Amino acid sequence: MPRSPGAEGAPPRIPRRTALLGGAGALGAAVLLPGCASSGPRAAPALPEAAATGATADGGVLRMARPPASQAETLDPASSLSAYEYLGALYSRLVRMDAEGHTAPDLATGWEADDAGLVWTFRLRDGVRFHDGRRFTSADAAYTLRRIVDPDLASPQGTVLGPLIDPGRVHTPEPGVLVVELTTPNFEFPALLTNYNCYVVPDGDGDTIGSTGIGTGPFRLDSFSPGGRGRIVAYDDHWEGPPTLDAIEMFSMTDNQARTNALLAGQVDLISQTNLDFATARVVEASDRATIARSVNAQWYVLPMLTTAEPFTDARVRQAMKLAYDPRHIIDVALQGTGVPGNDNPVPPDTPYWTDYAVERDPERARALLAEAGHERLSMELYTSSYDPVFTPMALAYRDSVAEAGIDITVRNTSADSYYTQIWMQKPLMATYWYTGRPADQLLNQVFRSGSSYNETAWADDAFDDLLDAARATADEDRRRTLYQDAQRMVVDEGGAMTPMFADRLVGLSRDVLNYHESGFEFDYLNIGLRP
Amino acid sequence: MIVYISRRLLSAVVTVLLASVIVFAAVQLLPGDVATQVLGQDATPDAVAALREQMGLNRPAALRFVDWVTGAVRGDFGVSLVSGEPVAATLWLHLRNTMLIAVATIAVAVTSSIVLGVLAGLYRDRWPDTVISTLTLVGMSVPEFVVATLLVLALSITVPVLPAVVLDEASAPVADLLPAVVLPTIALSVVMTAYIVRMTRTSVIDVMASEFVTTARLKGLGTGRVVVRHALPSALLPTLNVIAMNVAWLVGGVAVVENVFNYPGVGRMLLEAVHNRDLPVLQAIAVVSAAVYVLCNLAADLGAMALNPRLRTGERSAR
Repeated sequence: MPRSPGAEGAPPRIPRRTALLGGAGALGAAVLLPGCASSGPRAAPALPEAAATGATADGGVLRMARPPASQAETLDPASSLSAYEYLGALYSRLVRMDAEGHTAPDLATGWEADDAGLVWTFRLRDGVRFHDGRRFTSADAAYTLRRIVDPDLASPQGTVLGPLIDPGRVHTPEPGVLVVELTTPNFEFPALLTNYNCYVVPDGDGDTIGSTGIGTGPFRLDSFSPGGRGRIVAYDDHWEGPPTLDAIEMFSMTDNQARTNALLAGQVDLISQTNLDFATARVVEASDRATIARSVNAQWYVLPMLTTAEPFTDARVRQAMKLAYDPRHIIDVALQGTGVPGNDNPVPPDTPYWTDYAVERDPERARALLAEAGHERLSMELYTSSYDPVFTPMALAYRDSVAEAGIDITVRNTSADSYYTQIWMQKPLMATYWYTGRPADQLLNQVFRSGSSYNETAWADDAFDDLLDAARATADEDRRRTLYQDAQRMVVDEGGAMTPMFADRLVGLSRDVLNYHESGFEFDYLNIGLRP
Repeated sequence: MIVYISRRLLSAVVTVLLASVIVFAAVQLLPGDVATQVLGQDATPDAVAALREQMGLNRPAALRFVDWVTGAVRGDFGVSLVSGEPVAATLWLHLRNTMLIAVATIAVAVTSSIVLGVLAGLYRDRWPDTVISTLTLVGMSVPEFVVATLLVLALSITVPVLPAVVLDEASAPVADLLPAVVLPTIALSVVMTAYIVRMTRTSVIDVMASEFVTTARLKGLGTGRVVVRHALPSALLPTLNVIAMNVAWLVGGVAVVENVFNYPGVGRMLLEAVHNRDLPVLQAIAVVSAAVYVLCNLAADLGAMALNPRLRTGERSAR
C-alpha cells in the first residue's frame, strides 16, 4: 500500500533524547530568538509553502549569498567544479526538464529518433546568439557533446554519456540540425541532456569558458572571481526575451551563519544552496525583512547500506533493515512532519516513471529475516555528520525506530569536512542525500547500476542492469515506463539504499523577492524579480 | 645582552622551522587530499585522478616538502593548489586585513583592560572590583562566536548601523573594510580583555602590598602618583607576557570570528586551506603565525627587561 503523502498522522511521539540531540545543532540560531523561549516547538508557526508572486519592479539588482564550491571553481558547465548558480543564468541547454519532469524544448525545438533508438536528430532554434554575438549553430551543440565525453575533462556527466556517445559520430549536416549516432539504443537520450553539465558552450571555447562564461542564457557575465564575488547582467538579446532583473550580484560566504546574518541584516536578498535547519528557518521567517520559501522535494535522503560489506552482503539483512523502520517516524523527527515518504524508492513521487510500489513496515518479519540470516541481535554503527542539518536527526530517528526489530544502532557523528571522502562509500551504514531533478533513467543508471562511480551501495545485479538496458531500447513509452517501474521495484526489494523520505529545501529570501522558483537546483532566472 | 638576543633569535628560527614540519606532517595525516576535498561528492575515481594529475599531487610527499622549503627560503611560497594563485600575494592581502582587526583590537583591549585591571586591583573586593571581575569572567566564558552573534543581532539586525558580514573580497581598499572592522574588534576585545584584566588586577594587588609601595606611601605621596610612578611599571611586567600571547593568538586564532563575519583575513584563509588541504597556503600561514608568535614573545621579554632593572644585569646603569 502506498502511504499517502498528505496523510495526517497522530501527533509525533519524539523520544526525548532524540529531540534533545536533534535540537543541539540549532543552539547558535536559538541565541537569535529572544522572547520566543516560552513558545515550544508546537506553538511555532508553520513555514510558508511558496515564495510570493506578483507583478515585479521593472529591473532591479538581486543580491545572492552562495557557498563557494572552492577557490578552484569555474564557469565551465561541464566541470565537476562549476560555480552552480551562474550556470542557469549564463547558458541554455538543448533540452530542459519542465516542472513535471518531462523533457521540454530549449535550444533544440524538436527531436526524433530512428526506429532503433540509435540515431537522434535534433532541430535547433534559429536566430539564437551567444553573448559575444556569435550565432549559435549545430557546431556548438556538437562541440559541447564531444567535450562532455572527453575523458581528460572528467565531467560528472561524462560517466553517463560516455558509454553512449562516440565523438566521431556526432554530425552537423546543417547549421540548424544536429545528428547523434549513439553506440547503443536509447530512447531516453534527450532526458540525459537535461543535466546541468550539458549547458551549451561556443565551439572551440573549452579552454576559456571557465572564466568567460559565454553562453546563450538570459544573463551575461560582467565579472567573476573564483570563490569570491561576481556580477551578471541582463542579456537583452536573449531568445526568450530579456529577464526581469537588470543584474544579479553573487557573494561567496563559506559560513552558514554568515549567509543567514547577511540575509537578516538586509545585505543580500537570497541564500542559495543552503537548506536552513528548522530553528534558523523560524528565525528568518519571524524577521521583518526575510522569509522562507520551499524548493519542493528538492532532495531525497538515503541511508545507504554498502552491499559489499558485512552484514549487508546478505539480501535478507538489507530487507530486514528496510522492514524494521517507520518512515513516518523519521519524517516526524527529522523533518518535523513536512516531508514525503520515500518508500525506499529514490524516484521522486509524481514524476513520469515513478511507481507507488511500497512495502509496509513489519518489525516482526524483519526480526524473522535476521534470525534466518543468523543474527539474533544485529549491532551496527550508523555514521552521520553535521554536513546537512537533517543527517543526525534522521540517524537517531532510524535508531529508535528499528530497536523494536532487535537492531541496535549506534550513531557515530564524524567530521563534516571529510565526510564524503572518508565515510561515504567507505562505511557500511551512513546518512546522505541527493538532489532531485535528474530524470529516472539517469538516476537509476547513475546511482544503482553495477560499476557506476556514483553507485553508493556498490549494488551489482545483472537482472537490474538488463532491465535498464531493455527500457532504454524500448520505443513504446508505456512499455518503457513499466520496465523502469520494474527496476524501481528491484531497488525497493533488493537494493542497498534505504530512502526514508523526500524533503523540501528551506530557502531563505528577502520579502522583496517575487516569483522565486527553483526546481531541484535550477532557478527560474527569467522571471525572478523584486517588489516594486 | 647581545648573546641573549642572538640565542633567542636562533631558537626563533628553529621554532618556525619545526612549525612548518609539524604542519606538513599533520596535513599528511588528515584524511583526504586536496583533490578529494575539492570534489566532495563528485570525487569519482576518474575525476580525482584527473585533478591530482593537474595539481601535481602524484609526487612523493617528502619531495614536495623539500621543494617547498627551498622555495620558501628564497621567499617564494609557491602557488595555491586550489586557486593556482601565488600564495605570497594572497597571504599578504589577508594579513593586511587581519592586521586591521588586530591593531584595533590591541589598542582597544589593552587600553581598556589595563585601566579596568588597575581599578579592580585598587578597589579590591569592593563594588568596582566585583562588577569588573564578574563582567570579565562572563566575557572569558562566552565563546567569541556567541559574542559575535549577539553583536550582529544588536548592531546589524535590530539597529542596522553596521554590516553583519563583509561582502568585499580580500583585495578591497582599506577604507571599504573599515566599517566591517568594528564588530569583529568588539567581539575579540571582549574575549581578550578578560585575560589581561585578570592578570593586571593580580599584579596590582601584589605590587600595592609590597614594601616599596608602602615606603612610597609613608613618604607621603598621593595615591595617583604611587600608582603611576611606582606600582604600574612593576605591575605591568607580568602583564606584558599575557598581552604578547594574546597578540599572537589574534593573528592565528581569529578564524572563528572572521568566519562568522565573512571577513577576508588570515583566519578565514586558514580555515579554507585546512578544509581544502591546500598545503602551500597552510605552510605559509603556519610560518607567518609562528614568526608572529615568536616575535611577540621576544618583544615581550625585551620589554620586560627594559622595565625591570634587575634583568638588566651586565649593563651599565644609564644614569
